[in-house]
Amino acid sequence: MMTAVESHMTYSNSYTINNETVYMTQEDDWDRDLLLDPAWEKQQRKTFTAWCNSHLRKAGTAIENIEEDFKNGLKLMLLLEVISGERLPKPDKGKMRFHKIANVNKALDFICSKGVKLVSIGAEEITDGNGKMTLGMIWTIILRFAIQDISVEETSAKEGLLLWCQRKTAPYRNVNVQNFHISWKDGLALCALIHRHRPDLIDYSKLRKDDPIGNLNTAFEVAEKFLDIPKMLDAEDIVNTPKPDEKAIMTYVSCFYHAFAGAEQAETAANRICKVLAVNQENEKLMEEYEKLASELLEWIRRTIPWLENRTAEQTMRAMQQKLEDFRDYRRIHKPPRVQEKCQLEINFNTLQTKLRLSNRPAFMPSEGKMVSDIANAWKGLEGVEKGYEEWLLTEIRRLERLDHLAEKFKQKCSMHESWTGGKEELLSQKDYESASLMEIRALMRKHEAFESDLAAHQDRVEQIAAIAQELNELDYHDAASVNARCQGICDQWDNLGTLTQKRRDALERVEKLWETIDQLYLEFAKRAAPFNNWMDGAMEDLQDMFIVHSIEEIQSLITAHDQFKATLPEADKERMATMGIHNEILKIAQTYGIKLSGINPYTNLSPQDISSKWDAVKHLVPLRDQMLQEEVARQQANERLRRQFAAQANIIGPWIQTKMEEISHVSVDIAGSLEEQMNSLKQYEGNIINYKSNIDKLEGDHQLSQESLIFDNKHTNYTMEHVRVGWEQLLTTIARTINEVENQILTRDAKGISQEQLNEFRASFNHFDRKRNGMMDPDDFRACLISMGYDLGEVEFARIMTLVDPNNTGVVTFQAFIDFMTRETAETDTAEQVMASFKILASDKNYITVDELRRELPPDQAEYCISRMTRYIGGDGATGALDYISFSSALYGESDL
Amino acid sequence: METVEQLVSFLHIQVQLSGGAPWGFTLKGGLEHGEPLIITKIEDGGKVALCEKLKVGDELININGSALYGSRQEALILIKGSYRILKLAVRR
Repeated sequence: MMTAVESHMTYSNSYTINNETVYMTQEDDWDRDLLLDPAWEKQQRKTFTAWCNSHLRKAGTAIENIEEDFKNGLKLMLLLEVISGERLPKPDKGKMRFHKIANVNKALDFICSKGVKLVSIGAEEITDGNGKMTLGMIWTIILRFAIQDISVEETSAKEGLLLWCQRKTAPYRNVNVQNFHISWKDGLALCALIHRHRPDLIDYSKLRKDDPIGNLNTAFEVAEKFLDIPKMLDAEDIVNTPKPDEKAIMTYVSCFYHAFAGAEQAETAANRICKVLAVNQENEKLMEEYEKLASELLEWIRRTIPWLENRTAEQTMRAMQQKLEDFRDYRRIHKPPRVQEKCQLEINFNTLQTKLRLSNRPAFMPSEGKMVSDIANAWKGLEGVEKGYEEWLLTEIRRLERLDHLAEKFKQKCSMHESWTGGKEELLSQKDYESASLMEIRALMRKHEAFESDLAAHQDRVEQIAAIAQELNELDYHDAASVNARCQGICDQWDNLGTLTQKRRDALERVEKLWETIDQLYLEFAKRAAPFNNWMDGAMEDLQDMFIVHSIEEIQSLITAHDQFKATLPEADKERMATMGIHNEILKIAQTYGIKLSGINPYTNLSPQDISSKWDAVKHLVPLRDQMLQEEVARQQANERLRRQFAAQANIIGPWIQTKMEEISHVSVDIAGSLEEQMNSLKQYEGNIINYKSNIDKLEGDHQLSQESLIFDNKHTNYTMEHVRVGWEQLLTTIARTINEVENQILTRDAKGISQEQLNEFRASFNHFDRKRNGMMDPDDFRACLISMGYDLGEVEFARIMTLVDPNNTGVVTFQAFIDFMTRETAETDTAEQVMASFKILASDKNYITVDELRRELPPDQAEYCISRMTRYIGGDGATGALDYISFSSALYGESDL
Repeated sequence: METVEQLVSFLHIQVQLSGGAPWGFTLKGGLEHGEPLIITKIEDGGKVALCEKLKVGDELININGSALYGSRQEALILIKGSYRILKLAVRR
């Protein structure tokens, strides 16, 4: 049997299984079952009866005796009907045996029709009540209808049932179902089976292996009560039989299977239904999904197309580029999922259709408008619009690019132009020429000319700007308004600039002309003011000129000059007025035309104020000069008086002195009378002269006055004070000298013992050779004189004599020296010793001499001479007032003893 | 007349005498006479002679540290003014 089980397991689960093999198995079984154990027979009978009843009760009937009650076949047929759920042919109603057999045959036929090969079972035996056969037939039925269609996984019938039992009791460790006999003896298997399905029915934990009968009965009870499985077995029979009847057990257990598996079948059926439903649901879901997806997609397409059809142009490149970007996003990000969706949709649709077809369902018909074709069309439309959109975008972008470029160009040009024009209006409106000099104005003019040419050069730039603005307008630039405004602004400004430029030019020209006029006037002013200023300066100098005049004529001429000058003043004044007039004209022009003068005349530093003030100064000086001159006149006149006074005096004194000089010289020269007589005469003269001194003094007084009055010349007299003084001094000197000469002559005469006649001779000789008659001889005269006296001298001799005669090298020989020389030859020469001896005598042999002694012994003059010349005597024996005559003497002779 | 100093190398001698006047020499010449101041005589046994430095013909140029300008009067005064000590400078 095992091998049969094994071979059975290889077949599939379907109940339309190949029954051939089942046939064989059953036949084998049946054959063996013929050797039925009586115990088993009993068990089987009980069990089979119970089983049949469990079915028959559904038809409202039952059997008591399995052999008996099936004899007529009616209940058998009924049983079969109940079991199979099919109608059997109508049973024969007769009571006759053949009727019963026929019915049984019907039943058997039915059984055969179900694929069960009944071997060795005949209707007659059944009808006859063959127990074994009947049991066998029931077993066949049971096998066929209760067990055969058990399928657990891929195992069916008995093996399947066993497997089912094993599976179900697997969790129960104290249950081990290996067969359909011994495994069931302890009853735990059954309980486990029940508990597995209906744990509420048995408290399995309370069951004990050592109470098989209890267990079994529990199971039987519960099964009958709750599971609608009538008792078919006996607990004692099972327990007491070493190997319970397999068939009985199988039959009973199969009821359990059917009870539970029914539930399971129901479950399975439900599962199947669920599965089918699920498939259905799935399909429906797929359909829904499709619908939904399709809707969504179409919706999306519907939404998207207008977006793509939208041809409203954006204003800016940026916006368009944004659009392009959006489009790109659309293509790269948004569309692909939709493409995928569409693909998915198609796939889903195809899958769905396939599934439906395979599962014999009607094809899926999408709702209106959601057909595949609709979707495809819509998609096509989308793509068509896309393309158009992209093209449009690119075109627009190009257009905008161009516009942007133009706009940029416009802006740039405008900016450049504006920067050039920036500030120009202010500059042109400047009134800087109002306070500028001519040079500055000329410079401004040149600058303006340069500006004008610059302006002209910019003209075409303005035109370019306007052209671009025009183009922008034609191309419908979004911000054309501001472009136009700016363009207009620029054009207006341009016109304004032109106007201002012209105005400035006019103004500059006008001002330039005025300034030229003014400049001319400045120049004229300068030309006139300078010489006038010079003249004034000269006049001022002259008027303040310090003059030194020494005569009335001089002052008169100055006065004349001054008067002449005064005569020129009116003319000068006219010149001044004219010059000032020029300046006034300048002021007038400036005031009239509103020109600001800097007040500086470029051609001269002289201002009208300078001229005016100088003129006033000149005017002021004139009377002062008059006064001065008049004062001077007075002074000169006074001087003249002084001069006359002086002159009068000098003219008297001068000649007088001269006369006296001559007289005196005559006295000394003339050889008239003795020396004493000469002396007297001279003394007389001396007295005269002394008396005359007062005149000199007076003259001196006059002279002083003259000098104080700064009179340096006197044309009334040839005699200057100096002349007179000199003359006077000469006179004094002469008289003194002459007197002295005479004195000396006297001395000499006395000293040398020369007589008067000798002296007169000497005198005559001297006079003879005194060619110049000045009381002196020059060396030539002297030489001639000597020659005449017979002294023939060589050069050397003569030189020696000259040194003697003229030791001081005065170059003249005086009469005294002459006499000395003449008398030297004859007289003794005194030596220093001799003089000293003489003094000693006078000093009474002392080594010194006193003042008194000198005064006593010598003539007063000589005494004084000695007193004054002698040095004080230094010696122990000297008294006060002692004089040293020794040194004095040697000093006289050129020698001093020290 | 005082001549221009010739480029003649003079020997300068200085002497200091003491004791007071008389010094024992005679001085001749002087600006007054147009001659240089010359020692013309030296008294034997005199102070000048005893010092044995001065000779006849020496020209006196300095007295007591004062340079002479040539006047004999001046020299006399300077010499006479020396009481105890007389310093002379001569050239020859």
